[in-house]
Amino acid sequence: MTEVTLTNVIKRYGAQQAVHGINLEILDGEFVVLVGPSGCGKSTTLRMIAGLEEISDGQITIGNRVVNDLPPRERNISMVFQNYALYPHMSVAENLGFSLKIAKRPLAEIGAAVAEAAAILGLEDLMDRKPGALSGGQRQRVAMGRAIVRHPDVFLFDEPLSNLDAKLRTQMRVEIKKLHQKVGNTIIYVTHDQVEAMTLADRIVLMRDGHIVQVGTPLELFNQPEDTFVATFIGSPPMNLLDGVVTDAGTVRLADDQELTVPVSARSDVRRGQQVKLGFRADNLSPVGHGVAEEGETAELNLIVELSEPLGTETLLFATLAGTEVQGKMLNPRPVKPGETMTFRLALGKAHVFDAQSTKVVRSI
Amino acid sequence: MRRRLPEWFLLLLPAIIVIAAVILIPLLFSLYSSFTPYKLTRPSSLWNWIGVRNYERILTDAKFWAAFGRTVLFLTIALNLELLLGLGIALMVNKVTWGQRTLRTVLMFPMMFSPILVGFQFKFIFNDNVGLVNNILQSTGISNAALPWLVDGKLALFSILFAEIWMSTSVFAILILAGLFAMPRDPLEAAKVDGCTSWQSFRHITLPFLMPFVFIAMTIRSLDVARAYDIVQIMTGGGPARRTELLWTLMSRTGYVDARMGLANAMGYVSILLSIAFTIYFFRKLSAARAGLGMEG
Amino acid sequence: MDRNRTHRYRRRMLRAAHLTALFLTMAVICIPGMWIILNSFRPTVEIMAKPPVWNPTFTLDHYRAMFGGVGEGGVPVFSYLWNSVVISGTSTLIAILFGMSGGYAFARYQFQGKSGYFVGLMLFRAVPGVALSLPLFIVFARVGIIDTHFGLILVYVAMNVPFTIWLTDGFFRQIPKELHEAAEIDGCTRWQAFWRVEFPVARSGVASAAIFAFLTSWNEFALASQLTRSVNSKTMPVGLLDFTAEFTINWGGMCALAVLMILPALILTFIVQKHLIAGLTFGGVKG
Repeated sequence: MTEVTLTNVIKRYGAQQAVHGINLEILDGEFVVLVGPSGCGKSTTLRMIAGLEEISDGQITIGNRVVNDLPPRERNISMVFQNYALYPHMSVAENLGFSLKIAKRPLAEIGAAVAEAAAILGLEDLMDRKPGALSGGQRQRVAMGRAIVRHPDVFLFDEPLSNLDAKLRTQMRVEIKKLHQKVGNTIIYVTHDQVEAMTLADRIVLMRDGHIVQVGTPLELFNQPEDTFVATFIGSPPMNLLDGVVTDAGTVRLADDQELTVPVSARSDVRRGQQVKLGFRADNLSPVGHGVAEEGETAELNLIVELSEPLGTETLLFATLAGTEVQGKMLNPRPVKPGETMTFRLALGKAHVFDAQSTKVVRSI
Repeated sequence: MRRRLPEWFLLLLPAIIVIAAVILIPLLFSLYSSFTPYKLTRPSSLWNWIGVRNYERILTDAKFWAAFGRTVLFLTIALNLELLLGLGIALMVNKVTWGQRTLRTVLMFPMMFSPILVGFQFKFIFNDNVGLVNNILQSTGISNAALPWLVDGKLALFSILFAEIWMSTSVFAILILAGLFAMPRDPLEAAKVDGCTSWQSFRHITLPFLMPFVFIAMTIRSLDVARAYDIVQIMTGGGPARRTELLWTLMSRTGYVDARMGLANAMGYVSILLSIAFTIYFFRKLSAARAGLGMEG
Repeated sequence: MDRNRTHRYRRRMLRAAHLTALFLTMAVICIPGMWIILNSFRPTVEIMAKPPVWNPTFTLDHYRAMFGGVGEGGVPVFSYLWNSVVISGTSTLIAILFGMSGGYAFARYQFQGKSGYFVGLMLFRAVPGVALSLPLFIVFARVGIIDTHFGLILVYVAMNVPFTIWLTDGFFRQIPKELHEAAEIDGCTRWQAFWRVEFPVARSGVASAAIFAFLTSWNEFALASQLTRSVNSKTMPVGLLDFTAEFTINWGGMCALAVLMILPALILTFIVQKHLIAGLTFGGVKG
C-alpha cells in the first residue's frame, strides 16, 4: 500500500517561504492533481515529494515510510518531467532500461520489463531511435515508459503536457488516464491547466501562494467553491462575480440597483448590510425563453449585451452590469444585436454568495 | 548533521589548490622580492628590504615608460585592428554562399600556431636577405634595395604588429562568425521591408546583436595579450636599439640577462596589473552586453 | 528600367569586390604557413640563394637530418617531441579533471560571490607568462623541480584550469538540470548521474576544452624557455631555438621542426572544430 502523506511541509528559500505548511493525504492508487497558477508552490511540493528539493520543515511519508532525508533513488518513485529529460545519448530502449541497469538487474529481466513498457505505450517501432529523432508526442510516451518500467510506488508528473500542441495534449490526456486505469499506481500530477485537472483527477488540490486553498473531487470544486479564487480558477468560462449589498428585505442589491433574492445556499447566513459578491456560472444565466427549464427559484436580471459568440448549439453572451462583465448562455440561439437589452433568468439554486472582504463562501448547506 | 564544506567548494578545491600553489604563491614571493634588491648572483640580497625603491626607480625610468607606452599603444592598435579585420572577415564569409565550412576551417589555421612559431615564421618572411617579402619586392622590381623590415625601428614595429594581427584576428573572426550564424533572420528581414539600407540594418540590428560575441572575443584575447612577448622576443628581441621594446621583453631582459630579479619583479607587477585591468574591463563589458540582451544566466 | 540596370550593375561590382577581398584575406592567412611547409622541403642553398630561386627543388634533407639527429647541429628532435607529448598530454588530462570539477560547480551550484570567484579564477589566467616565470624560476630552483617534466606539468595545469573551467561551465550549463534529476530518480547517486548521464552528453564539449588546453601547453614558450634546460624537459617550442645561432639561423631545419609541431595541432583542431566554436560562444554568452 502506498499512501503519500504530507504533514506541515514547509519550504523556505532563505528568508522567503515558498510552501507554507501543507497537509495532504493521498490514498493508494489515487490520481491526485496539484493545480494552481504559476508560482503557487505546486511544483516545489512535487519536487519535495520526489526528493529533488529538501524540505525545510515537516514530514513526508511514502507507504508509511518517512522519507524526509532520503535521496530520490531510495524513494521508489518515478517522475515525468515537463521537458521529458530523456537521455539524449541513449536510444529509446536504453532510456527505458536505464533505471534497471543502474539497479544491476539481470539483462533478461531488463529486456522483459522494457518490452512490456514499450507494448503498453506503443513504442515497439522506435526502440533504436535516439530522443532527438522523436516527435513531441513520442518523447512524451518514452518519458512515461521510463517511469513505468520500474514499477514504482508513486508516479510523479510535472506539467507533462505543457510542451505539446493542443490536439496532442487532449490525446495524451486520454492516454495518461488509460495508463492509470491499467497500472493503478498512485499518481501525483502537477499542472496549471484546470481542464487537465478536472478531466484527470480523482481529487484536485488547488494551491495558491504556497497554501492549499481547497481539496476535493473535480465536481466538488466546481459546484462548491470555498472562495472566489476557486470559483474563478475552476471552470470555463470563469464564474461571474457581481458586487452587491444585502438589504433589509433579504435581497442583494447590485451595483445598478437591481435587486434579487439572496440565493438559498446563503439565505440564513448573510447579515444585513453585508458586502458580498454574488457568484454564478454562465450556464445558469440565460435570456428568458432561451435556457434549460431550471427547477427551483429563479431571479430576473436586465442586462445590456455587448458581444455575442455563436457556438452552434448555444451562443455565449457578454453583457455588462455597471461596468462588470457578465457572461451568459443562450440555448436555441437567435441573432443578437450588440447593445440590445435582454432579460436574463438566473437559477438561484446554483448561485453562490461570497463575503466581499474575506472572499470566503457564505453557505449554510 | 556534521558541519561540512559545501559541495561546490569541494569541487572547486583542486583548481584552487593548484592555482594557489603554482601561481599565487610565486606571485606573493615576487611581490615580496620586488621590495628587495634581489639579484640571482647574490642570493643574500633577498633579505635586504628596500621598500618601494624598485618601484620608484622604474617609475622614474624613461626606458620603462617608453616600453610601457609602447605596450599600451601596441595593444590598442593590435586589438582594434584585429576586431575590425575580424568583423570584416566574418561578414565576408557570412555572405558567401558556398564552402563556408571550408573557409571557417581555414580561418582557424593561425589559431593553432604557437606564438613562437609565428615569430619565427615572420622573422623568416620579413628577413631582409632571404625573406619572402623582400624577394617578391625585388623580383617584381617594386623596390631595388632590400627593405630592412626587422632592423629599421618603424618597419620592425610594423612587422611585429603584422605578425600579432595575423595570429589573433582569427579569434575575432571565428567568434563573430558564430554570432552571425546564431543571429535570427526575422529582424533583418523586417528592417529590409521597413526600408533600412544595408548599412542601417547592419548598424542598428546586426551590430548590437554581435556585441556580446565581440566582448567574448575581447575577453578571451585579453587573457593572453602577453603572448605577444613570444613573437617580439623571437623577431627582434626588443631591438633594434630598444625600438620595439615592450614591457615584457624589458622585464625578461632585466630579470634573466641582468639578473636583477627584484627590479624585474617590480616590472612584472606593473605588467600583471595591466593585464588584469584589460581583463576586468572586458569582463565588465561582457556582462553589460549580456544583460542588455537578456542572456545572463 | 534604368534603375533596375544600375542596381544590377552595382550588385555585380559589389560581388566582384567581395570575392577579391575574400581571396586576398585567405591568401594572407594561408601563404605564411605554406611558405614554411614549402621551405622545409627545399635545400638550404636554395633558401639562401640570392637572387631568389622561384622554381623549388624537392628534398627531404631537413627531415632526414632532423630525425637522424646528426648534421643539422644534432638537435635531439625526438626527445623534444617526447617531452612535448608527455608534458602536454599529462597536464591536459589533469587540467580537464580539475577544470571539469570546477566548471560543474559553477554550472550547477548556487553560492555567494559566484561571479566573483569566476572572474578571480580567470584573472590568474591573465597573469603574463613572463611575469610569472621570474618568481617560478626562483621557487622551482629552490624546490629542485627545474628542468623536470613534473615542474612543467604543474605549471601548465595551473595555467589551463581557469579557461577549462570557463569552457566546461558553458557545456554543463547547456545540459538541462532535469537530466540529472531524472537520473537521480532512476536510481543514480550524484556521482553516477554525472558519469553516466551528464558527462557523456557533454563529452564533445569536454573534448574541445581538452584540445584547447593541449594546444596551450603544446605551444607555450615564455615559461618553458625559463623552466627547462636540457633534453630532460625541453619542449618543441624551446627546441626551435636550437636552430638559431648567434648570427645564423638554419631556416630549413627550423621549418621542418615547425611542420612537425603544427601537424598534431592541425589534426586535433580539425577533428573538433565545430564543438570548439560552440564551446567558446556558449561558455561566454550564457555565462
